Amino acid sequence: MLEIKNIKKSFSKKRVLKGISLTVEKGDIIGIIGPSGCGKSTLLRAINYLAPPDDGSIVFEGNKIEAKSNLISIRRKIGMVFQQFNLFENMTILENIILSPVETGIMTKNEAIKEAKQFLKKIDLIDKKDFYPSQLSGGQKQRIAIIRSLMMKPELMLFDEPTSALDPEMIGEVTNLMREIANEGMTMIVVSHEMNFIKNFCTKVIFMEGGKILEEGTSNEIFNSPKCEALKNFLSKVENI
Amino acid sequence: MRRYRNFLRLCCFLIITVLITGCMRKEQEELTLVTEAGFAPYEYYSNGEIVGVDIEIAQKIAKNLGKKLVIKDVAFDSIINEVKTKKSDIGAAGISYTEERAREVAFTDNYSVSKQVIIVNKNSYITSKENLVGKVAVQLGTTADSYLTKNTNVTLIREKKFLAAIQDLKDGKVNAVVMDELPAKKLITSDMKILSEPLVTDSYGMVVAKENTELLESCNKVIKQMKESGEIDKILLKHMGQSDEIEEKTSVFDRFYQSVIYDNRYQYILEGLKNTLIIAVGAVILGILLGTLLAFIRHYHDETGYLKVLNAISKAYIHIIRGTPSILQLMIIYYVIFKNVSISIVLVGILAFGINSAAYVAEIIRAGLNSVDKGQVEAGYALSLNYRQVMMKIVFPQAIRNILPALGNEFITLVKETSVGAYIGIVELTKASDIIASRTYDYFFPLILIAVIYFAITFSLSKLISIMEKRLNYVRN
Repeated sequence: MLEIKNIKKSFSKKRVLKGISLTVEKGDIIGIIGPSGCGKSTLLRAINYLAPPDDGSIVFEGNKIEAKSNLISIRRKIGMVFQQFNLFENMTILENIILSPVETGIMTKNEAIKEAKQFLKKIDLIDKKDFYPSQLSGGQKQRIAIIRSLMMKPELMLFDEPTSALDPEMIGEVTNLMREIANEGMTMIVVSHEMNFIKNFCTKVIFMEGGKILEEGTSNEIFNSPKCEALKNFLSKVENI
Repeated sequence: MRRYRNFLRLCCFLIITVLITGCMRKEQEELTLVTEAGFAPYEYYSNGEIVGVDIEIAQKIAKNLGKKLVIKDVAFDSIINEVKTKKSDIGAAGISYTEERAREVAFTDNYSVSKQVIIVNKNSYITSKENLVGKVAVQLGTTADSYLTKNTNVTLIREKKFLAAIQDLKDGKVNAVVMDELPAKKLITSDMKILSEPLVTDSYGMVVAKENTELLESCNKVIKQMKESGEIDKILLKHMGQSDEIEEKTSVFDRFYQSVIYDNRYQYILEGLKNTLIIAVGAVILGILLGTLLAFIRHYHDETGYLKVLNAISKAYIHIIRGTPSILQLMIIYYVIFKNVSISIVLVGILAFGINSAAYVAEIIRAGLNSVDKGQVEAGYALSLNYRQVMMKIVFPQAIRNILPALGNEFITLVKETSVGAYIGIVELTKASDIIASRTYDYFFPLILIAVIYFAITFSLSKLISIMEKRLNYVRN
């Protein structure tokens, strides 16, 4: 489904991605872990060209992603959820959810509203539909952001530290929703510091450090029999917290 | 249908005919006199009109040529330029012959001889031109100004108006005033005197463009005839009597009456208010349109890297406009760009202030757009929206809250800035008060009145902006 080949990315002179290759199959739930600043988020943002790679190629369902030609149509199939939720502050919850499907013309306004209401009922936030984002809690905002992405009927979902900005008691409601989506067969790539979640949730885990993938394998292989020193080191630090 | 077509044809024909004859009439039958109407008895305002010795002579010239006289009131410093660039045909404002001026324009024979006299307080130590030292006030750009600058080393205080120079002497800010004898006689108060020996004797001529030899001849003919018949002296005496309004005012009500009501003087203020508002509103609209365009070009370039050339042009525009005085821009637009074009000065004002304001508006809007959280933009792109959709639906609606207060400040500045328009002869509020003061020699009420009006305009503007801000406050944190 997604074929990443040797992508590189620098910000001014700092090399953040030093040649990353990764293959994602349909139904995969991939977790990316690693110390802060290792390039996890940049990798995720390179996939939908929010941070266009300087070198290498990304092929999504047989189409090479290119900034000039097909970017918008490919982004339609790749949803993204951000650490800071990024709900549009100037719109109500309902307006947030229906904006993109209506603007891009994949639904009429009435269809979008109908669908949005169904989603809102499912996550039990239908009574908040006319609220503004600033009136909601972090957990509520992140769940809205997730269904806002789902409205576009994506084939791949990118999660960039979706629970890092949440108070601990709200993490559960977001991870539960992610589990439900995964159970429906969604392909996902998740960057997270929630090791327990990654461990139990992901089918495949990637460990990054210094802009490179140092180790990859099943969740069991990575967490129970790490091979490289860096990963062992990282896991021991994380477990001590 | 056919009937309509014929009707349309007829209309077009009529409109074109009117336009052509309108233009021709202007070329053939108007004679434009440029002056600064604050120099009684040569030119001054009376009952809403500019009258005076120069005006009557010019009227005679126009009549001889079979043309209609149109009078334009600008700053004294601008008169030579007006004539040189042929924006006006004749310049007359008690202009004395100097070599510098004669290099730019052609002088007619002199029609009136003036003496530059020294005015001092009665108990002054200055008794003749030999001991003229210390601070001396003159009107900027007059014969007295250039003579003293060249031939003495007194400290010159260059005022825009004779009256201000006299006021300086009254207030003890200067030791003497040098000006033409005729106005001097009318302006001095009981505790001042004119020294018997003039500083220099000078003569006044009118000016025309050098190429305009025919007009020069007609002027000289009329002037010669009027001089010989003694008509000019008669006119001078008449206007000295009429424009004599410097009696001591006693009560406040009397001064108010003189400044505002007498001679329908409030009409100058109304006219000024009208022009100030037209220019301010026009310039605000132009500033917003042009400024928004510039801001979006720059923002689009910063976001996507496209539009390199347009971005460079916008950047240069903003730097140049913000880095030069608006009065300079106004004069460049009027005297350089529209040098040979007949264009309404109010329109020039709108253009100049609009172009000036656009640079500030552009930076205000750009700062506003950049103040919106980057995450909002990224979320928009991630949802497969394009640049236009992200800007229109997400960024701009949020940016406007930050833009509006700064924009309000810019418009308040703009309203006040329009006062510079007087330089090219626009009768806006400041010029209007100047006209009244040039008749009454009393600045108090005209200045206070327009100050109140400016304040009323800017205060309502800021109230309006704050109402709009409240409406935009959709998020109640």
